Amino acid sequence: MDQLNVGETVLQARNVHKTFGTKGNAQHVLKGIDLRVTRSEFVGIMGPSGSGKTTLLNVLATIDHTTDGTVLIDDADISKLSNTALSAFRRNKLGFIFQDYNLLDTLTVKENILLPISLSKMSKRKAESEFTTIADVLDIKALSHKYPHEISGGQKQRIAAGRALIHQPSIVFADEPTGALDSKSASSLLDVMEKVNQQRGVTVVMVTHDPVASSYCSRVVFLRDGKIYSELYRGDKTRHAFFNEILDVQAVLGGDHVDGL
Amino acid sequence: MLTVYKLALRSMRQNVKHYYLYFFALIFSMSLYFVFTSLQHDQAVQNMTHPSVDFSAGFQIAGVMLIVIVGIFTVSANGIFLRRRSREIGLYQLIGLSKGWVARYLMIENILLGLGALLAAIICGALISRLFVLILLNLLGLEGIVDISFSVPAAFKTLMVYLLIIVITSIQMMLKVYRSTLLNLFQADKRPDLTKPPKAVASAIFALLGLALIGYGYELSGHINEQLFLNAPLVLGSIVAGTYLLFRVTIRWCFYRFRKRKDGHLGLTNSLSMAPLMHHTKANANSLTLITVLSAMAITLISMAYSSYYSVEQESRRDLPYDFMFENEPQEALSFKMELEKEGINVNHHDVQAVLAMGIILDPNDESRKVEERLLWLPTEQLKQTGADLNVPLDGEAILYDAGASLAGDLDEQSKRYPTEIKLEQHGQTVMYTLRTLKERNIMNLNAPGKQLLVSEATMDKIAEQMASTPGYKKIRFDTFQVPDKEELAMASSLYNAKYVSDERLTYDFYTHYKEMLQTTGLLIFIAAFLGLVFLISTGSILYFKQMTEAEQEKQSFKTLRQLGFDVDMIMKGIIRKQAIVFLLPLSIGMLHSIFAIKAASFMIRSDITFPVSIAMAIYSVIYFVFALFTIGYYRNIVKNAMS
Repeated sequence: MDQLNVGETVLQARNVHKTFGTKGNAQHVLKGIDLRVTRSEFVGIMGPSGSGKTTLLNVLATIDHTTDGTVLIDDADISKLSNTALSAFRRNKLGFIFQDYNLLDTLTVKENILLPISLSKMSKRKAESEFTTIADVLDIKALSHKYPHEISGGQKQRIAAGRALIHQPSIVFADEPTGALDSKSASSLLDVMEKVNQQRGVTVVMVTHDPVASSYCSRVVFLRDGKIYSELYRGDKTRHAFFNEILDVQAVLGGDHVDGL
Repeated sequence: MLTVYKLALRSMRQNVKHYYLYFFALIFSMSLYFVFTSLQHDQAVQNMTHPSVDFSAGFQIAGVMLIVIVGIFTVSANGIFLRRRSREIGLYQLIGLSKGWVARYLMIENILLGLGALLAAIICGALISRLFVLILLNLLGLEGIVDISFSVPAAFKTLMVYLLIIVITSIQMMLKVYRSTLLNLFQADKRPDLTKPPKAVASAIFALLGLALIGYGYELSGHINEQLFLNAPLVLGSIVAGTYLLFRVTIRWCFYRFRKRKDGHLGLTNSLSMAPLMHHTKANANSLTLITVLSAMAITLISMAYSSYYSVEQESRRDLPYDFMFENEPQEALSFKMELEKEGINVNHHDVQAVLAMGIILDPNDESRKVEERLLWLPTEQLKQTGADLNVPLDGEAILYDAGASLAGDLDEQSKRYPTEIKLEQHGQTVMYTLRTLKERNIMNLNAPGKQLLVSEATMDKIAEQMASTPGYKKIRFDTFQVPDKEELAMASSLYNAKYVSDERLTYDFYTHYKEMLQTTGLLIFIAAFLGLVFLISTGSILYFKQMTEAEQEKQSFKTLRQLGFDVDMIMKGIIRKQAIVFLLPLSIGMLHSIFAIKAASFMIRSDITFPVSIAMAIYSVIYFVFALFTIGYYRNIVKNAMS
């Protein structure tokens, strides 16, 4: 881990509110969220269905606007950016991993991964070396010239991870990345994500309902009814111990509906 | 309880919104069919035209062509729609409805929609037929008001076409429902048809074969009229097959090579243009071939029709350089002149003294050919007096003028015969004259006897002296008349036709001939323009529908790209490139095909047709690109709203 970067703030959310619908029929989904993510953190966001975790991710990831409050990424206030500036911001600073991969069917694995840097001024040689590095970490070199329909779900998600990392973003947002995977593919993906987080110091914010997935994180934030309910730090605990702790919180939090089981 | 009928009605309302262009195209072509058959059965316009103009046959052929194109169009469009609705068809079966139910449901919907189109077509047709007649009369150069009544037989025929369409599309629907498995239906748009790398050797061979077939077709089209009935299908076959290979193999092969060289560094624009095109190679090859061939046919048809309409005056002048001509009839010529002057018509009258004598034009390539024929020797100096733009040939030399030369075979081939010799024989003595060259027009009206040879007056006098007592020798006095004013010419023509035409000899006057040609070609351009428009709308719509379907399949990709931070304009750049390829490729290849087709058919028109052909092609392209703009607009909408 790069010691210099520890403690440096990458993302700062202050009093974030989000309301859907019109005045008469408004649905208050986020009710004042404060969250700080520092460089090289691996943050998990958990919570029961309807607690607002995906909405929070969308708002943090600039895909959706806040109703009130500010979000700063690398000290830039994203609510003040124009649409064009937001696009450029997403392209340069953010990486995304979606639940259903969202790879382009018409492109090969390598073309999919290189897509985010297709408009940057990076030289072909530099891009090629970036690709090789990422492909080695994710162990997908052999798949380079395959098409998405020729590979498994777990492989697809690793490709998506490659696409999220190729341009060295400040922060990677992952929305239920293991949601569509079997447990073996899921843990292999999480191993890779943990490795990337620790070796390359990539900051990750991941929404998940799976306690196993969140046990890989360095911190887990629990949401309930649009507010932060509690936070857990992994510290020096083993993954197993951390997993049990998460389960305990979830039992209190979820009450009768711990989803995803 | 939702009945089949109610469900069909409900989904129809949705479909009309989606397929308005399909209905527009269907209604337009069926209205046109109705108008054409109405005109075919209507006597009013026919009575106004020259009897030699075969009115009803023209419309009958046009009607048949319309049925063919409407058939091709509905089958292609219906195929696209069924593919697009695969998921819906699968879903009905998944919730437990039988295949029979689904087929019945689709057919009811189809019959009702078609019925709507039929009614709209007949009503529109009846309303616009008057406008059509006006356009037609204008093109034919006729004046007057014609009332066209509602034609019951035309309505009946249109109904039969509708039934034909229903039968064909219903069969297509049943095949789709009964033959596809559920898995096929749900994965219709997921699986790419060709992603495996093309086999290098086979691809290269087929890619070259495609080009070779097209080249062979082009080459053969150059001498298509040598053995028309053997060569025409051969040309058509090799060009269609070549075009298919071009789209299926050659272009894919080029794309594949390009993509391989890029080694993954494809860039956004290519990712959105080349990659999806390669993804759908098989389906694209079929529709692009169809569109190329249809475009080539339409462009050829319109260009030829417009060129002949455009060059009617020039063509008539080639055959009939003089408005009126009298041959050895000085009295009649004089009385015609007096009659014209009495009417106050300004006329230029001249007389030309020519000589007719038998002789042999030698063929240096074929020495055995020695046919004695009638040769008309015309003195340049006198012709120049009549206003003809001619240069006096050297003494002892002649130039052959023959407006119908190209009918005897390829002109370039013929011109290799010149210069040659003309052999004249009198009392066992032979005299040779040089025949310098051949010009593809007449210097005396068509009905003058013999082959027209231009010589200097001195040469002609010498020939007259030499040949005076030979059999077939004759002195001819031509009285030529030119009426410079168009309106006066029309009056003069009716005077001429009233008195000076007899059944005993051939008589041609320029104005009558011109009018007749104008009517024939006017009818041709009328039919060709509307048929071409139907071709154009059909091909444009097919492309639009295909792209529309692809746009919807790619919606998720656009959403992903937007989320990754690519904005609408960046994505649109790729989409515009894709549309440029999809629309431009068939148009330009079709245009190239049609250029060769026009060249092959251009022996029918002697004048230079570069200008009218360019105009026809330009208009065709402009309307064609409207569809490209429609498509791009549709895509932009989808990309813009992809995030929400």
